[in-house]
Amino acid sequence: MIKLMKYELRKTLSVKLILLAVTAVAELVYLIGLWRDSESMIATGIGLLLLLAFSGVMIVGIGTLLVLHRDINTKQSCMLFMTPHSSYAILGAKLLENAVSILLAGVFFFALGALDVTLLFAHQKALDQMWKMISEMLRSFNEELVINQMNIAALVWAMLTSWITTVTTACLADVVSAALLGGKKLSGFISLLLFIALSLVEGQLLNLIFKGMTLDFATASWLRGGAELLIAIGTYVLTAFLMERRLSV
Amino acid sequence: MLESRDLTKVYGGKAAVNHVSLKLETGHIYAMLGPNGSGKTTWMKMAAGLVKPTSGEMLFEGSPVGVDSRRQVAYMSTEPYFYTWMTAKDVGRYYEDFFEDFRPERYLELLDHMELTPDMKTRTLSSGMAAKLKIAATLARDAKVWMLDEPFNGIDLLARDQIRGSILEGASDSRLLILSSHLVEEMEAIADRAVYIRHGELVECCDLEEMRQERGLSMADRYREIYGQKEAIA
Repeated sequence: MIKLMKYELRKTLSVKLILLAVTAVAELVYLIGLWRDSESMIATGIGLLLLLAFSGVMIVGIGTLLVLHRDINTKQSCMLFMTPHSSYAILGAKLLENAVSILLAGVFFFALGALDVTLLFAHQKALDQMWKMISEMLRSFNEELVINQMNIAALVWAMLTSWITTVTTACLADVVSAALLGGKKLSGFISLLLFIALSLVEGQLLNLIFKGMTLDFATASWLRGGAELLIAIGTYVLTAFLMERRLSV
Repeated sequence: MLESRDLTKVYGGKAAVNHVSLKLETGHIYAMLGPNGSGKTTWMKMAAGLVKPTSGEMLFEGSPVGVDSRRQVAYMSTEPYFYTWMTAKDVGRYYEDFFEDFRPERYLELLDHMELTPDMKTRTLSSGMAAKLKIAATLARDAKVWMLDEPFNGIDLLARDQIRGSILEGASDSRLLILSSHLVEEMEAIADRAVYIRHGELVECCDLEEMRQERGLSMADRYREIYGQKEAIA
């Protein structure tokens, strides 16, 4: 399993390194802005870092989906599926590597954000304006959100787990499409339709579970994140079962 | 050792392999013969556990093929399959990571024998060199079964001699070798048994020496008999 994960990491390494390099540039812009007292550079740096924090986690997930699509639909599939591992281990390694990468990317951007905000606190000028901007951005997810560390951590958890479930759902849609349609012309489109349908079903299921519950934001986010993870595990088992029984590469 | 029972694979309503029952024994070199599209590759992929049968069974030492059989069956696909970021050295590491029977020293010997170097990048290799790399990686496994799909495709005459030598070096009483090809003359010098497949159906599995002695037919003669002039050219 570890060896499978090692190669999964290697397959997605270039995307992650590019993301890291772009983040380093954005951070540099922000730090130079602080050093030179340039509000426009600080704003540009924060804007870029916030964009990278949200899109970066998504890019890591999409990278895994593209690798899976290549691994089950191209000639390279032989390389992976000739190894003495079950589909459960092969898919498990992919999803585990992806989940760890998503969580690490989340923690990395969260820590970087905390560090940058601390630096901003130390640098009094423009603080109110910047904090207002960050708060507004976070409130776009929930209008009632009180900005404090606990709520931000709960929000990050809910977003990351939701994205992990999205990735596993997309894996299921891709595998179903590949197993049943065998790489035919419309298989990509059908995979997309299937993904949308499955996501709607999962969303309805979560709404049903949490309907009528009166919980504060943080508790609701932690619980919903846990439910998302359970759905991700169920989706993984179903996908691996289909791969084991039906997928020809 | 390797047995297919009433094995069928249907793609889009067309049977690529149609009710094939076949038992291959250890200690022999089988030539799997038939024109393009006759079902050789699909049968081999089912034996490697890569393609799932529509019906029937594929057994290795009496059990359905799967994770355990992949430990002991060294399969080489006809298509290039190495990751594009790999060098020949990375390919060796990959096989070493996943196959306990992989012998790194033998791999380096084979690379040298095939005039390849470990630093060569897979994405820059010509089709002939890529084919030689696949063969080196596969033959460096001390597996119970070597299954090579079209090992001579895109390879020049001198390199074919090298490959033939390496294959014959690895032949033993404890190993089953299966080679598919439409280059019948090339196979005649290696194999001792032949499996003829036509339109996904098994026509015959025979011992070549017996066929020569009892029917006075070579592998190529029988091939012409089965597939006829038109199909043989195709």
